[in-house]
Amino acid sequence: MRKQERRAWICLFIALILFVGTGIFTYRFVRDGSKWASFYGNTQIYTDGQINRGTVLDRNDELLLDCTPEGIFYSDDWTTRVATVHAVGDTRGNVPSGAINLFASQLVGYDLLNGTYNTNAAGKTIKLTIDAEANRTAYNALNGRTGAVGVYNWKTGEIVCMVSTPSFDPYEGAPDDEGSYYFNNFLSGTMTPGSTFKLVTAAAVIENLPDRGDFTFDCDGVNEFNGTDFTDINEHGEVDFREALAVSCNGAFGALTREVGGRTMKEYAKKTGLSESLTFDGIETAAGSFKFPTDDDIRLSWAGIGQSQDLVNPCTMMVYMGAIANGGEPVQPSLIKDTSFIDEIRGAKSLGRYIDESTAAELRDMMKNNVVENYGEDNYPGMDLYAKSGTAETGGEDSDAWFVGFTDDENAPYAFVVWVKEGGGGSSVAGPIARDVIQTLQHTSL
Amino acid sequence: MTTVFRWIFVVLAAYILLIAIVSLLTTRATPEIWGYYMVEDGGGSFPITHWENVIGRSKSADLNIPLSTVSNNHAILSRYDEDRWTLKDLGSKNGSFVNGRQLDPDKRYLIEPGDEIVTGDVYSTVTPPSLEESHNNEVMRSMDKEPVAPWKILLAITLFQAMTIVQLVLAMGEEITVSAVLSIVILSAVMWGYVTFFKAMGRKGFEMEMIAFFMSTINLAVTTSFDPTKTLTELIALLLGLALMIFMCIYLRDLDRTRKLRPVLLILAVVALLINLIFGKAQFGAVNWIRIGGTSVQPSEIVKIAFICIGAGTLEELYDKRNTIVYAAFSLFCLGCLALMSDFGTALIFFATYLVVSFLRSGDFSRLILTGVGAGAMGLMVLKFSAYIADRFAAWGHVWDPEFMDGQGYQQTRTMSFGAGGGLLGLGAGNGDLKYVGASNTDLVFGFVTEEWGLIIAILLVLCIITLCIFAVMSIVAGRSTFYTICACGAATIFMVQTMLNVFGSVDLFPLTGVTFPFVSTGGTSLMTSWAMLAFFKAADMRRDASLAVRGEEAWHA
Repeated sequence: MRKQERRAWICLFIALILFVGTGIFTYRFVRDGSKWASFYGNTQIYTDGQINRGTVLDRNDELLLDCTPEGIFYSDDWTTRVATVHAVGDTRGNVPSGAINLFASQLVGYDLLNGTYNTNAAGKTIKLTIDAEANRTAYNALNGRTGAVGVYNWKTGEIVCMVSTPSFDPYEGAPDDEGSYYFNNFLSGTMTPGSTFKLVTAAAVIENLPDRGDFTFDCDGVNEFNGTDFTDINEHGEVDFREALAVSCNGAFGALTREVGGRTMKEYAKKTGLSESLTFDGIETAAGSFKFPTDDDIRLSWAGIGQSQDLVNPCTMMVYMGAIANGGEPVQPSLIKDTSFIDEIRGAKSLGRYIDESTAAELRDMMKNNVVENYGEDNYPGMDLYAKSGTAETGGEDSDAWFVGFTDDENAPYAFVVWVKEGGGGSSVAGPIARDVIQTLQHTSL
Repeated sequence: MTTVFRWIFVVLAAYILLIAIVSLLTTRATPEIWGYYMVEDGGGSFPITHWENVIGRSKSADLNIPLSTVSNNHAILSRYDEDRWTLKDLGSKNGSFVNGRQLDPDKRYLIEPGDEIVTGDVYSTVTPPSLEESHNNEVMRSMDKEPVAPWKILLAITLFQAMTIVQLVLAMGEEITVSAVLSIVILSAVMWGYVTFFKAMGRKGFEMEMIAFFMSTINLAVTTSFDPTKTLTELIALLLGLALMIFMCIYLRDLDRTRKLRPVLLILAVVALLINLIFGKAQFGAVNWIRIGGTSVQPSEIVKIAFICIGAGTLEELYDKRNTIVYAAFSLFCLGCLALMSDFGTALIFFATYLVVSFLRSGDFSRLILTGVGAGAMGLMVLKFSAYIADRFAAWGHVWDPEFMDGQGYQQTRTMSFGAGGGLLGLGAGNGDLKYVGASNTDLVFGFVTEEWGLIIAILLVLCIITLCIFAVMSIVAGRSTFYTICACGAATIFMVQTMLNVFGSVDLFPLTGVTFPFVSTGGTSLMTSWAMLAFFKAADMRRDASLAVRGEEAWHA
């Protein structure tokens, strides 16, 4: 019988497979349980395909979304609905970046121990970091144009304003169900950055050209180079590095880009986070894309001033502004307000070093100079503003207007990005939108 | 109320099952000593701890005589009755002699105490244990850790059952039926009756039954939640299964009697499968149901019992060509029928069990037959099921892909989604929503239990099955006959493969094949068979006075 005794181990082997398999399932259950539980097939939390519990508020407790077994209710105010739909989401799941999609498991109050069991079945309340009032301001300021406005607190990482247009009323859906209405330009768009990209080129110059203090460029408004014109709106005359940024001289920055070289430019597009996608709260932003040819000075020059094939994502641009504001090390953005004490103490998560602290300081100084010299401090009353405008040639009817930068006030440490498609001049069109939104935020955060 | 209950359920379940599991895994039987094998010329004396023993040079021989004149597997010494043994030469090179007379190979010869046995050039005798030795062994065995007393577990299960009724009434309100509630009450009463009666008869080990009663309670709760009008039928099947188990336990005590029953079982099994083939009703693609007087019966479930009995054999039978051929032919027949029924899941269970049993059986010569049949069966399965497999395997591992989510992977995604919704503690019996998905109370029962009872209890149920298996393997050391050993291992394999296919299939670790979870899935035939098969585990339980399937020493020495 001993032979049979010994061979009985095969049963233990089968038992082991059963045990290990159950272990694997348990591991997956712990890892993916929230995803599984909030799957739309789960009729415990979906009535007629619509999530039936949970509430979404803005940072000031304004109701944005209320999910009940009777149906889904958004804000009563049309503008609020339209201005926040890209942050809140719609029930049909057309807006991937919406809270209703991203935070479904939090909304239903899922946790590993209790699953979707809920004593009151009302679900959980989640508080977004956005400020509905700021979103309304941004939406109204965009005034029917296609665009994106994003603002985040560069100290805490909270995204306080996120608007993408064209937008739609979630109660009605998009006209003709057209995709562009659902699309979140801020998180998922990539567009030609124009002169805002000079802030990246400038960072590369600061960290790679020690003798930039001696740099001068004689701008004749045409700036022909190897048979190609790098035209500027004005004839800037002789400019140094600092003035070149203030007046956004294409000729000068073309020359600087050539001095820095394609390889370094590529490195800086990556270092400043613009050629990578950013992940937070389950969101993955689009990644920008850039081409810096090492054998084609003309195209390299265009790329250095944010034209050519450059494409940037507004959210990553906003985070780069946060990096400059925060001494070269940006904090990670977030869309959900920290509810737990522990998260509050832990504070914002750093994304690591983008640029040197001294580089950030020099850029900051130059961006202040831009405001003083070019955009006019009087146009931005009550805020300590650092900025760069952009007017991107995209071959459309008009140029895209950009305004990026940050403020450094005790109650308003905001980094922002404003993009208006075919809006025209950067500082004249996009600038006031940024101003209105920040003023609103200064008001609401008091 | 449910909020608090969920915690109590988990604590009670953990208490019940852990005590039973720990008791099963920590109490081991000291082997009984049936006699001594005395080798002359200073060869020493070997205690004979089994009813069946191989004498040989091979290290795996039970009575190991490392001399070159002895063949590897020389002869089999089997217990005949109180003092007498039989000897069967296995075609050894130098032959075996009793009192100077050479034995014909493959024939049994009766040995009286003191008869001179010669194997090769080794002289030996078999002597019964002296009174003192018997006594010493008895003392040794009485020092074994005793099985845990059943009363605390019994109370805990009863509390669990009472709370289950309250929870079901709370959750289902007017939907629940009197017969469903009554079924759980009757289950509880039967459980007490069973334990009290056999305890009074001097039996001590009830862990396996406790595990089965607990799992059956979950079964009735699942059935009630799914459709309370079916609970009573389920209970009746359970009682039939329990009766069958008791009958089998008592029958299995006598090995000769059991062996004589085998041809009958074989014929019955063949007839059942043929009836299934001829009158079978297709359900979910597989034709594995027949209707008898208004109730659906799954013959292939019941055939499992016969399949194990026919696969098992005494040590002598394992060396018998005819026995092996009958077993192999029967296996092939079963697999063929299952293939014709398109029941891939059950075919897989039979095939896996065939492999394990064959592995346990296979000696030098039988290996060839068994491997050949195994390969043939494999070919048959591939041929028959390849289209089906290709279909099911397409979604395997990809059920969350949009193309499968609501199609081929519908049942799995629902199982995981609703299961995850249950969390670790569950939503409470009767509160689940997976029940609105087809076959949720059978093929997807693991998800059903996870949603309503929580992951902890669901995993404990899997651990119960694993425990039964480990116990079966552990008890072999003190086993009397390979017949019981193979029965227990075969039954353990069926239980485990079924659990594996059920659990892994419903959570996408394996393609969904649609088999039941032993004891837990709704289904009369399946529940009845699970209970009946418990007898095979009981028959392997050699702890002193533990099992009603084992005749105690007192009876032997009386």
